[in-house]
Amino acid sequence: MMIELTINGERKRLDVNPGEKLLDVLRREGYMGVKTGCGSGDCGACAVLFNGRAVNSCLLLAGKADGADIVTVEGLGGGDALHPIQEAFAAEGAVQCGYCTPGMIIAAYDLLSRNPNPTEEEIRIGLSGNLCRCTGYVKQIAAVKRAASAMANEGGDGND
Amino acid sequence: MTSTAIEQYVRPASVEEAWAVLVERGAAARPIGGGIDIGLHPTSGLSTLIDLDRLALSYLRDEDGLAIGAGTTFTEILESPHTEKYANGILGEVLQKVASPLQRNLATIGGTLGSAHPWSDVVPALLVLDARLRVYDGQSREISLVEYLTARATGDRPLIIEIRLPVKSRASAGAFEKYSSTGFDVATLNCACYAAIDAGRCQTIRIAVGGTPSLATRCLTAEQSPIGARLDDQMIETVAGVVAEGIDARDDRRASAAYRRHLAGVGVSRCLKQIVGRLETMT
Repeated sequence: MMIELTINGERKRLDVNPGEKLLDVLRREGYMGVKTGCGSGDCGACAVLFNGRAVNSCLLLAGKADGADIVTVEGLGGGDALHPIQEAFAAEGAVQCGYCTPGMIIAAYDLLSRNPNPTEEEIRIGLSGNLCRCTGYVKQIAAVKRAASAMANEGGDGND
Repeated sequence: MTSTAIEQYVRPASVEEAWAVLVERGAAARPIGGGIDIGLHPTSGLSTLIDLDRLALSYLRDEDGLAIGAGTTFTEILESPHTEKYANGILGEVLQKVASPLQRNLATIGGTLGSAHPWSDVVPALLVLDARLRVYDGQSREISLVEYLTARATGDRPLIIEIRLPVKSRASAGAFEKYSSTGFDVATLNCACYAAIDAGRCQTIRIAVGGTPSLATRCLTAEQSPIGARLDDQMIETVAGVVAEGIDARDDRRASAAYRRHLAGVGVSRCLKQIVGRLETMT
């Protein structure tokens, strides 16, 4: 089945099996920022924006992505520039092995685009679908707070 | 990672068209909402997916109760101002405890009822809210959720178009309890209660327990004694005891039948106490 979709702002026409996962399609196409973790929607390493909302791409059927707007972690900043959320994760050292980071950042983007000034509780809920096996879920929270404040100061999400 | 090889992926423009494909393809076809189950539970013999996302079924309307389109995601329900107003927001309380935000952005209310997994948290909540479904199986009709689940168990699967929650009396509230081994795991046991109290007396009460490990059902015997009585601590303990004794509890890898009975008693007792507390705050 041929699907047409937008990935990180670029129109694509791809030949897929509609029953395969968008995760596999994206990695085949070279979007390696999308990580394969559990494959069952538990870990969030594969999170992408699907029409503006963060979803597990390991649960998203390729057929469903026909006509969709997909953003991976590669597409959040502009070119070589980092998005403020990415900058905040780096500044706070909210990474160890880094495998969960792209998914965390995508989930944080979804959260902050709906709730620009979240409480710590709301951040924890917002990231609750993203597992990290190295850290203690402290610095990611700090990073989202830092990103929220940076984005508020610049009056936008840096991606407009 | 496993995936299902699908030969045909259709996105019908009308309910009639979707039904026609389902009739023509029979067991080889399946309607999907978010499509999560297809990925998680590859099904042999499945070759056609009928994606209902072009039927404009993503909505919540406050009309003579609450009408929720089958294609509405859990997140959309959580974010709707209507959800909070309805039965003290019990539906939102339940959905917050289902999976993660990432999955809630994809999962639809119609899809979860179509799958009707035995651990479903949504089913007990909708049972106590007396949900009705607008379905299509060659003709559009409205049936109760109980009728849908009964028909489903015999292989009769009409398309779910809309979930309707009837108007509630003002002095009513609901509550939900879920027990799982981690915050993310499916329920070891869940329960939902709804009650309406007038002049201190219980007018209506509905109790449902699920993940026993079977799909939630109403606890009709336990619902009888509190009618017309005060829902005080003693009555609550009596009701909880009848629920614990009456549920179809069995052993599985998550819990023993005995532990499930214990959880059911505790859960129903906590739900009813929350309801009483909520109604006291309202008046």
